[in-house]
Amino acid sequence: MDPLWVTLIKAFVLCLVLLGAFAYMTLIERRILGRMQHRHGPNRTGPFGLLQPIADAIKSVFKEDIIVTNADKVVYVMAPMISIIFALSAFGAIPGGPAGSLFGFNPWVVDLDIGVLYVLAVTSVGVYGIFLGGWASNSKYALLGSLRSSAQIISYELGLGLSVLSVIMIAGTLNLREIVEVGVWTVSPWLWPPLAVAFVAFVISAIAEVNRTPFDLPEAEQEIVAGYLTEYSGIKWALYQMSEYVNMMTAAAFISTLFLGGYRGPYVLERLIPGSSEWPIIWLVLKMAIFMFLFIWLRATLPRFRYDQLMRFGWLYLFEVALAATLLTGAVIAFVL
Amino acid sequence: MVTFVILAVVSVVGALGVVLLRQPIHAALSLVGTLLTLAVLFVTLQAHFLAVIQVLVYAGAIMVLFLFVIMLLNIEQQRKEIRPWLRWVAYGIGLVAAVGLIVGALLDPRQAPDAAVARAALQGGNALLIAEVLYFEFMLAFQLVGVLLLTGMVGAVALVQRRRPPPGGVSAATAREAVLTDRPGRPSSHPVEAGGR
Repeated sequence: MDPLWVTLIKAFVLCLVLLGAFAYMTLIERRILGRMQHRHGPNRTGPFGLLQPIADAIKSVFKEDIIVTNADKVVYVMAPMISIIFALSAFGAIPGGPAGSLFGFNPWVVDLDIGVLYVLAVTSVGVYGIFLGGWASNSKYALLGSLRSSAQIISYELGLGLSVLSVIMIAGTLNLREIVEVGVWTVSPWLWPPLAVAFVAFVISAIAEVNRTPFDLPEAEQEIVAGYLTEYSGIKWALYQMSEYVNMMTAAAFISTLFLGGYRGPYVLERLIPGSSEWPIIWLVLKMAIFMFLFIWLRATLPRFRYDQLMRFGWLYLFEVALAATLLTGAVIAFVL
Repeated sequence: MVTFVILAVVSVVGALGVVLLRQPIHAALSLVGTLLTLAVLFVTLQAHFLAVIQVLVYAGAIMVLFLFVIMLLNIEQQRKEIRPWLRWVAYGIGLVAAVGLIVGALLDPRQAPDAAVARAALQGGNALLIAEVLYFEFMLAFQLVGVLLLTGMVGAVALVQRRRPPPGGVSAATAREAVLTDRPGRPSSHPVEAGGR
């Protein structure tokens, strides 16, 4: 257990790192999308467009901050703040390395016994930002975006929770660090099929939870302008963008921690360079990068779901598949191991 | 103690907001605030698991559903009261309950559980300990609550289910439904969309 001031400094640094990563993720995303669509993407501001995020930040801050006349003012201002606060606080529970590996400090902000539940709870509260923003804007497109978002999140949270259950059952703990230490894939080959199914179901639900393509119905610009974002501009709009990207990063880190050994390095490398899997931060960041790329790749590849398809997929397929994985895991643990 | 007083005041103000605010969304938000404050209160009592479950279930799921329904129906402010006397009856009952609670607490003051003892007993809100109590000691009660919830779910499904056509002819309700669902440009059946609402 760290003293309070260490925790506070770590929390502050983590927020700065996440927001810096957000700024450069927007650039990376636009560049990758550009490559995939046979165009350049932003490459004028600085070498390779590296100063583009800074230019965007300056623009967002100095843009006129419009508050819609007929908006519910308090809720309208509060909604983006709720979004970003809960997005930033979710990441703190995710461990970045073994205890004491970061210059003698622990590479996490808090080590909770119930880390899995904490991340799920905080991210599920974050959705208030989206649908309060849409409602407070007092515009039909924004309201439609909000309604879509809340229905979507209620539907996909079940799949998300159920697919985590397999991992929790195998690891026998809710502590994220202990889950990494157990290494869910190393327990038994019998558990590989249900784990693989749970992994796929979890990745899909996580994409739905962070409202990314093909689940970006809340801001489908071809149908409802920009959904809940329609009436927002300037720094408030930027806050929503920040929370979307921070949520993506949290989802990527959460998937890596639960299913892919989190902060631990690859086994092969550990044999070549002993101690390499103990290096803090780097392995987690590499694994996150894979999922961030996946999210961007999907955005360039897949068309958006229609609303009824989204609901049918969530309730009739994803939920059942996740349930089957959970039952199978339970059966293997009870009868085989 | 200072933390408790702050949290208590915030949660009571939130609870008052639920009752007193006119706009349904504001009332619901106020309730969310109360629930989150209660979760923080649980954290100060070392019941981390309970706190997280409180946030996950109430703030994260149930209140989202509440707000969803309020937004979907877009409830207008209802000026005209259907039964004006009912309001006074409710005030009376609320007042009696509040006075009863306060008097009860004053007559039988209990020492708050020592934080250190609670911490030792809960081991930082360890889920394993709760599972042991829940699944061994109170197994039967737990199962019964599960059955109760299932009953509620079946009841809800039964209430919203469409009527099947009677064997003899087509009822007015199903005929209207057939007209509605067979509009051009709309797929003939939307089982999930209809059920999801």
